[in-house]
Amino acid sequence: MRPTDLVNDVDEVLFTREQIAQKVAELGAQLSKDYAGRALTLVSVLKGSLPFMADLMRSITVPVQIDLMEVSSYGGAVTETSGLVRILKDLSSPIEGKDVVIVEDIIDTGLTLNYLLRYLRGKNPRSITICALLDKPARRLVEIDIAYRGFEIPDRFVIGYGLDYAEFYRNLPFIGVLKPEVYSGD
Amino acid sequence: MTQPSRFAHASEAELARILDYYQVEWQYEPRSFPILWNLDGAVVESFAPDFYLPEMDLYLELTTLRQSLVRKKNRKLRRLRELYPMVRIKLFYGKDFRALLLKYGRLDLAASLSGIEGQVGSPIAAVRTELPVPATPVSGELAVSGVQV
Repeated sequence: MRPTDLVNDVDEVLFTREQIAQKVAELGAQLSKDYAGRALTLVSVLKGSLPFMADLMRSITVPVQIDLMEVSSYGGAVTETSGLVRILKDLSSPIEGKDVVIVEDIIDTGLTLNYLLRYLRGKNPRSITICALLDKPARRLVEIDIAYRGFEIPDRFVIGYGLDYAEFYRNLPFIGVLKPEVYSGD
Repeated sequence: MTQPSRFAHASEAELARILDYYQVEWQYEPRSFPILWNLDGAVVESFAPDFYLPEMDLYLELTTLRQSLVRKKNRKLRRLRELYPMVRIKLFYGKDFRALLLKYGRLDLAASLSGIEGQVGSPIAAVRTELPVPATPVSGELAVSGVQV
């Protein structure tokens, strides 16, 4: 694999730091309005949604609890014997009777989220909705109801603001498109 | 879980593995839709989408073939949508499939799962022993449905 170059590996910037901040503030305001008088439990799906979660929770004005989950990904499962998706990190507190919002960085196929929704619904929350910063509908395999959507994006490979390629580029403060030669050169 | 005995293309087998991984129920070519009849009313052309996802009531057609064959498939798809407007179907092109493999860090498989190389029974596919595909060509043949949970 070629060395990672945070500047030159980016084909174009889709959303600047300022545009992201504006959108996150809007989502936070909408959540605060919709859940006025209630408390929220934000569940972040590791690792990509961490920056989004950190910014979103600070833009919400109703009481918030947070929790983290991590789900195995298909590509990482080639050496697994089960061949099935697994919860790598489960919730640390019960969500029964709570208003839960799943915080996702990006939704494309919807496969992971579809699994996660089924899993979390089994824990009997009062409600469960989805807040996604990015939506890539062109790639959807499973229909997902996204109550809070940041940006709809074209079918391109995006990095930055938590989104990675081979675990790199998460620390970019903007969301950009990765140059195809970066991954085609593997 | 029960795997159907055969897939027409290695990319279909890979998509089945992905759906299995995420525990999405699927059926392989469970239904053939007539799309053209002769004057006697006999069916002369049908279209059997590769996958049906019962939970989503959605058909998936996967095509990693070259452009000329994609055009033929697009025509069939248009015809199906005209005749069966209530049927929900999504066409997954080669670029979509490559993007899916990239997402899962398996872009190295893209070449061997795409186009003619990935067709079951092709001389190229036959020597790729790592691919879990059947040894005989089954293109155009309806396979036994294997319902996955």
